[in-house]
Amino acid sequence: MTFEKIINLSLIYATLRSATPIIYASLCAAITQQADILNIGTEGIMLTGAFTAVTVSYLTGSWLLAVIVAMLAGLVMASVIAVGHLKYGAEITAIGIGINMFALAFTKYMLNSLLGKTGSFTDPKIIGIPKVHLAFLDNSPALNELFNNWAVTEWFAFILVGILTFVLFKTVWGLRLRAVGKFPMAAQTAGINVTAMRYQALAISGLVGGLAGAHLSLGYSKMFTENMTNGRGFMGVAAMFFGGAHPVLTAIGCLVFGFADSIGARLQAYGVPSQFVLLMPYVVTVAVLAISMATKQSREARKKSALITTAPSTLTEKRG
Amino acid sequence: MSSFVVEMKGINKNFGEVCAVKNGHIQVEKGEIHALIGENGAGKSTMMKLLYGLFPHDAGDIWVSEKQIKNMTPKRAIDLGIGMVHQEFMLVNELTVLENILLGFEPKKGLTVDFATGRAQVQQFIDQYGLDIQMDKRIHQISVGEAQRVEIIKILSRGAEIIILDEPTAVLTPQEADGLFEILKKLKADGKSVIFISHKLDEVMKISDRISVMRQGAYIGTVQKTETNPAQLAQMMIGREVFLNIKKSEVNSGAKVLDVQDLWTSGEKEISKIRGISFEVHEGEILGIAGIDGNGQSELIEAITGLRKVEKGKVILAGEAITNLSVSNIRAKGMTHIPEDRNKRGLNRALTIWENIIATHIGDQAFSKNKVLSLQHSIDYANELAEQFDIRPRDVTMPTQSLSGGNAQKVVVAREVAMNGKLLVASQPTRGVDIGAIESIRSILEKVKEQGTGVLLVSADLEEILSLSDRIIVMFEGKISGTLTASEATDTKLGYLMMGGKTEEAAHA
Repeated sequence: MTFEKIINLSLIYATLRSATPIIYASLCAAITQQADILNIGTEGIMLTGAFTAVTVSYLTGSWLLAVIVAMLAGLVMASVIAVGHLKYGAEITAIGIGINMFALAFTKYMLNSLLGKTGSFTDPKIIGIPKVHLAFLDNSPALNELFNNWAVTEWFAFILVGILTFVLFKTVWGLRLRAVGKFPMAAQTAGINVTAMRYQALAISGLVGGLAGAHLSLGYSKMFTENMTNGRGFMGVAAMFFGGAHPVLTAIGCLVFGFADSIGARLQAYGVPSQFVLLMPYVVTVAVLAISMATKQSREARKKSALITTAPSTLTEKRG
Repeated sequence: MSSFVVEMKGINKNFGEVCAVKNGHIQVEKGEIHALIGENGAGKSTMMKLLYGLFPHDAGDIWVSEKQIKNMTPKRAIDLGIGMVHQEFMLVNELTVLENILLGFEPKKGLTVDFATGRAQVQQFIDQYGLDIQMDKRIHQISVGEAQRVEIIKILSRGAEIIILDEPTAVLTPQEADGLFEILKKLKADGKSVIFISHKLDEVMKISDRISVMRQGAYIGTVQKTETNPAQLAQMMIGREVFLNIKKSEVNSGAKVLDVQDLWTSGEKEISKIRGISFEVHEGEILGIAGIDGNGQSELIEAITGLRKVEKGKVILAGEAITNLSVSNIRAKGMTHIPEDRNKRGLNRALTIWENIIATHIGDQAFSKNKVLSLQHSIDYANELAEQFDIRPRDVTMPTQSLSGGNAQKVVVAREVAMNGKLLVASQPTRGVDIGAIESIRSILEKVKEQGTGVLLVSADLEEILSLSDRIIVMFEGKISGTLTASEATDTKLGYLMMGGKTEEAAHA
């Protein structure tokens, strides 16, 4: 049966697998979004991380060191955005696009001059991120297919979603960051240093973005290709909007992308033009954003109307 | 040394070219409710924001609890026991009431916020002052009155001894306001000092111990509540200035040119929503609309001129209903409009004088044929108007950007007046222009009226209203609080109505 060939366990695995790089990217965008900074530079930060990870792994043979240095490279890129935007008032979209173009050209140049390759770089000396083999799953074919042999960073993506949710919604820092993002004046009058909080958000975003790249080049694959992020950073930004910058909802948005990605590849084999399938997540994103904006607008209009005497608030008032 | 709990002396503050406060002054005693009053833009809020350290002051001394404070920041102010309830609440809509109160001063358990301890702390204040709030609701789910109580608890929980409230009743219903006054009395009984910014005289008389008055950024004086009355306060606020004496022509009013019937329209704020306004403007008369900024004047004008949707009621221009028609349609029927903000709506400042002058009737045969501009004709026409209205410099190919405020405004006035409409709506026609331009714009409005056009004049400048209008309506919180004829109007009476007084009371003021 064709249907069963398309929808099966390995599809779920493929979905998770192709979603994880985007999950990292979306978290990179979500952290800054919580501070009301739209991190368009996610793509560039991620690409820099991907290149750095492959290079360091190739040169040192240590995947862990490669991941750490990639995260630091992401931090450097994010710092450029932070200083440009927060200190010198550069338009965030402009500087984000600048970072993306810089990263694209810079990694291409370094690929050429440092590694002496054009297009892409593979080498047996590149040590990838190890896979986790859980022996007790071997007995269950279904669970084995689903959960075994994930890269460390694939597991960690989901852990990171949990960590960031905790940080944003349970910690003092998270509360302050959300206040800064939603209403900076309120945070300022509460004695919070708004600018410092924004720097911190961008710094963490850089670390996560670097990790996103490292996972892409050492976990998801074991190579570097020019422009290998190929829009994943932007997909992360879209997923962040989809999930309203909440880590869990954002990750769910990424799974939609991952699902579309993997099912598209399969449907293509049955003659469905993959472009249509690949289009779906974007159509969904546009629809969801449009509907949420429309409801928000009509709510605003009701609030300003002279005919409505702020009914809900009068009710709560009577309660008192 | 200062024996006051707060003392500010010789305070100056400029924002760019604009002087917000000059020689500001206030002394607050411990345990008093001190009202700070003045018209919009008098510098009250700026004074208090300086005290709270939201921005640095240019000159002057600030003393808090007998210590001179330099480089005040909000953090420092909070440490000194100063709390401020801003006009716009400093509450994050998406967060809960409890999170908002704890923000910045969170009790901690490791890295996390210790909400249980915080909740207990907040409950204490709720019980102590009888402030009813729901801690787990998000801010956007609660009423304005409740949000204000949240603000008060927030600053109390940060240890405030000096509490500043910036126009706290502006957003409240009268009942909510009474509730607030009860809370303020409790705070006072508890030894806290309250600074209360307002421009409503009745509530100032009701709640305060002493009253300081500011006008145009300057300190006017401080009086004991028991030794003053609303009329005296109104006079201090508005001041007695010599009027620019325009010889007002005889009223020669003819047919109804604008008829507004029970108009309702949306507002940016609760008090600027228009709820049922009716009035008429006749040919050959100037109807002045007075009122403190933000009481719905802008919304009313936008609704009449087609810029804001009319939710209920009718607007009739010379017998034709124009309710909710498009702006160009309304203009075609004889409406001309000098908008209140020349930079936003009056002019395209990047374009030249002549381009701005023909902008509203660019489609006329005279200025364009088959969608192509008749350049020479347009420039000739603009030159004619520049001469007639004395726009300087006389070069109409200059971008309006380089014009002074007065000349830029004359471009707008020239364009609108030259259209010879049935009605001219002039909204703040002389705001921010030099005295020479004020004079000439006012005499132009006089001439327009003499020619038989109806003029609807909105101005926050009482002197302008008094010197030009034949009849005056006063707006307060989106309604008409009184109608006066030119002969019976005085600045004191208007001031009284502008603060929500009644016409009968105004007669005795």
